[in-house]
Amino acid sequence: MKAAPIFEVYEQQKGKRRYLYTKSIAPGYDVYGEKVFKEGSEEYREWDPSKSKLCAAILAGAANVFIRKNDWVLYLGSSTGTTVSHVSDMVGKKGLIFAVDSAPIVTRELVFLSEQRNNIAPILADAHHPESYEHRISQVDVLYQDVSQKDQVDIFLKNIQLFLKKGGYAILAVKARSIDVVKNPKEIYKKVYEQIEQQGLKIVDKRQLEPWQKDHLILFCKY
Amino acid sequence: MNYLFEHLLGMIVCDENGNSKEKYECHSLEDYYKKNEIEKKIRHTFKDLQEPSIEIKKRILETLKHEKNAHAFVEYNRDLTKEAIKNAVTDEFLIIETINAIDDLSRVENMLTKRLRNWFALLNPEYEHVEADNEKLVERIHHKKTEKRKGSMGADLHVSDQEPIIELASEIEKIRHTKIKQEHYLEKVMNRFCPNVTAVAGGVIGARLLVHTRSLQRLAMMPASTVQLLGAEQALFRHLRTGAKSPRHGLILAHPLLVSAPQAMHGKIARALADKISIAAKIDFFKGTFIGDALRKALEEKFS
Ligand SMILES: C[S@@+](CC[C@H](N)C(=O)[O-])C[C@H]1O[C@@H](n2cnc3c(N)ncnc32)[C@H](O)[C@@H]1O
Repeated sequence: MKAAPIFEVYEQQKGKRRYLYTKSIAPGYDVYGEKVFKEGSEEYREWDPSKSKLCAAILAGAANVFIRKNDWVLYLGSSTGTTVSHVSDMVGKKGLIFAVDSAPIVTRELVFLSEQRNNIAPILADAHHPESYEHRISQVDVLYQDVSQKDQVDIFLKNIQLFLKKGGYAILAVKARSIDVVKNPKEIYKKVYEQIEQQGLKIVDKRQLEPWQKDHLILFCKY
Repeated sequence: MNYLFEHLLGMIVCDENGNSKEKYECHSLEDYYKKNEIEKKIRHTFKDLQEPSIEIKKRILETLKHEKNAHAFVEYNRDLTKEAIKNAVTDEFLIIETINAIDDLSRVENMLTKRLRNWFALLNPEYEHVEADNEKLVERIHHKKTEKRKGSMGADLHVSDQEPIIELASEIEKIRHTKIKQEHYLEKVMNRFCPNVTAVAGGVIGARLLVHTRSLQRLAMMPASTVQLLGAEQALFRHLRTGAKSPRHGLILAHPLLVSAPQAMHGKIARALADKISIAAKIDFFKGTFIGDALRKALEEKFS
């Protein structure tokens, strides 16, 4: 096991394949059936790129994901917490994740996860309406969004404006299908870039997630 | 000018630059729940309180980002979210689970009936061969009312080898009864939750529409043309992408009015039916009066 070029991520090369891991802050548990193993006194959890877009983005060549130890993160679209759990490992026990999702059933799992990991604050709310949770969170260093909504870019920008610190990073998973089922993804992405740059954000990296996720893109932006 | 920001961690009074003048900290969620009382007190001291602007909120949110608050953020949000999840269980959830359970029971019933046929045919293939009605077959096997013909190809199984076959039949009957009970229950919840949709679409189709949209609100806000095609999305996308024939109906195809109508009328009926379902959903969502029967009658008079 060696540290990957990305902060708080570890890697191993097995044959042709590169495997990513995070160092578990909750040893003894797996979260979504991933492989967990001990090396020395540490426990590592394998990160599955077919289940986590952030992992896919790294394998697709992202050289930095801008999530650091002790960071506070606003995570929109946390679902049952697959990716959240790895971000939770990355920011560590002194970091914090505000994990927002609008669906009660998946958020139930997130509540259980937050009981295992003390750096996750689960919030059942609709990311369209940041004013409905502005009294429950604080400013953050990083904003991560993965919600399958037609107006996902509007949601992204609204939340950045209110919650992201100046100079912070915002990561957006774009699902072309959610924005328009018929249009060519390339055209959709172009519109997304324009909309984001108009708001004064700088796109510092973009990664297509093939072959792990079809018609998905991850954007890394600086505020 | 003073501004008040009501936050989980405390009630904060600040100036136009977001500098805090007074902070009434919440040391537990109970404190936060008492915020109306505290607000009264604050308003007594600060007479000119305003809603904070985005800029002011941002400033306050920045000051709240502090390691010492992390624990409270997690605890309070977790408790609030638990409460919210508890309160989120509406009739929609019950309806969705029930219709899914009914579908599961049907599948299991079919699967086990096939197994029963194969198994029983070892004993009495002639009866199994002529009895096309599954329900009757199961019932007769269960109650041992299956005569064996002379010269049957069936094996002379020992009683102890027949018993498990009969037991399986009895189990299948039970499953069918459970399914029927749950269908009645579904009608009941549907009638209580969305009586108009239920009157027009029927309990089962109505419930399937809800499974699809996941909420009455979404069903109510949808244009009728979308309601008409719910459940036919794949065909619709194919149509949009490749220009294949456009579908004319989705889930509503199972409606008695469509089932009994000639093909040529399908498009027309589907449109009218979707229209009425859409109206019914809006009435149900906004808790209007019951006109479901009238809607249904109008359809029936026009098309049957
Ligand atoms: C693709 S899943 C996210 C998967 C997750 N990011 C992961 O990698 O583990 C999208 C999630 O967004 C949530 N979602 C959709 N619309 C939302 C909204 N308006 N506000 C908050 N969450 C939303 C859905 O409930 C769903 O759980």
